[in-house]
Amino acid sequence: MSDDLKNNAPAPENESPGEHSTVPMWIFGLLLILFFAGAIYFDDHSGWFNPQIYAPYQSAEELENYQPKSGAAEMLAQGKKSYDLICAACHGPNGEGKLGQAPPLAGSEWVNAKGFKRIVEIPQLGLNGPVTVKGQNLDFPSGMPPMGAQLSDADLAAVLTYIRASWGNKAEAITADDVKSVRTAVAGHSAINGEQGLDAIKE
Amino acid sequence: MKTGFRVFLAAFIALGASWCGFVLAPVLQLGTEKQTTVLNSSDIYPEQRPGAATLGLQVYRANDCAACHTTQVRQDGVTCQISLTSLGKNEPAEFKKFIASLLELPQFRACSNSVTAEFQAWNGELPETVTNLDADEAGDMIQHINAGGCKAEVQVVATGADIARGWGSRRSVAEDFLWDDPVQLGDIRVGPDLANVGARYDLNWQLQHLYAPQSLVKNSAMPPFRFLFQVRKIGSTPSPDALNLPAAFAPPAGYEVVPTDDAKNLAAYLLSLRADVPLYDAPFTREIVDTNNP
Repeated sequence: MSDDLKNNAPAPENESPGEHSTVPMWIFGLLLILFFAGAIYFDDHSGWFNPQIYAPYQSAEELENYQPKSGAAEMLAQGKKSYDLICAACHGPNGEGKLGQAPPLAGSEWVNAKGFKRIVEIPQLGLNGPVTVKGQNLDFPSGMPPMGAQLSDADLAAVLTYIRASWGNKAEAITADDVKSVRTAVAGHSAINGEQGLDAIKE
Repeated sequence: MKTGFRVFLAAFIALGASWCGFVLAPVLQLGTEKQTTVLNSSDIYPEQRPGAATLGLQVYRANDCAACHTTQVRQDGVTCQISLTSLGKNEPAEFKKFIASLLELPQFRACSNSVTAEFQAWNGELPETVTNLDADEAGDMIQHINAGGCKAEVQVVATGADIARGWGSRRSVAEDFLWDDPVQLGDIRVGPDLANVGARYDLNWQLQHLYAPQSLVKNSAMPPFRFLFQVRKIGSTPSPDALNLPAAFAPPAGYEVVPTDDAKNLAAYLLSLRADVPLYDAPFTREIVDTNNP
């Protein structure tokens, strides 16, 4: 009997209740949710400690998007877009040209020549026959179709301005009005006939 | 003293962490702030203040102007507008149809309703402005519009309550305070924000407003700062600096109100407060500083 009593007796309490109670699980849950929300807020609003990023901008990319473009920069950006889409297939993405298909534009004396009539007429009318570029007599059997005829005045001006300002080229910009004046002057003409044809165009 | 080291360590960590957050991090972030250039130009911003204005900053401080005035403009958002300036050869009705066809493209879904509403009552009058676009929508739309032979340009506009009040064209950024020592941002707006007060008013207005605020702004709560001025008998010739006051605020006949050096310096400082140029950090293309709003 005395053994039974001993076994059934409650275990001795060596700690008072409450002192070592475990932290309730919901606090951990709450902390996790707060941490998660904080991380999202940080991601949205910190700008990654970039001193140039202020609210309402959230990232360097977003701020860059809102930079107002000056007229000239916008024209070059527009020109690059059209060039990559239309011209780069033959003239190359860096204006290096393609043997047997298209002469180089980078450093070309035709591109950097003064005046705008010749350089507007080439994409407007197209060009047949051999042409000398950078001292090399280059022949392009298929010639150049009038690739620029479908572009608007502003677009063609932007492409030509981009070509004249890229890859080491340094020549004056072409305006939409330049393009317009040449277009009305040469309306209905056939493709330019090689170098003689180019030389015949008086700037 | 068994726990002494632990108490010290805990206090050190707590104070050290806040020192890192409140002192070290801002210094690392903005401590090397330099002059910058105005957007799309080669002008340097901000320029060093003239000497009188630098002295005036101390007058501003001594009179605790920052107790009632802030010098920081807040900005809640940014929006792009397309300003249509020419239709080329297109008819307005055609253009409306063209815009309607554009709005069916997926990238314009978000702004489709508001743009449709703006073109609802449009009768072909130029320039027409399309508001509330974000940068991507505006960039896309302008390309389509330009490809259609029309002319349009994108305007970047800061938005927010302070900007609507005409207190500035953009938010204040760290560069604006480069020459301020100490920086006096202020945190209570009993009076209007002063970040652009130099762009809003001229020298005569500033001086007269310091001497008699109510003569220019009815019911202004600002106390007159008469001790910055001298009321004196007109000598053999009247002073060229004397204020030209309305009758109700004018001194007795034979007397004139002349600003002291402090008043002139303070006015020079107020005139130097103009944060109205676009910067890379805070771009805009439309000025909204209101020259008629006190």
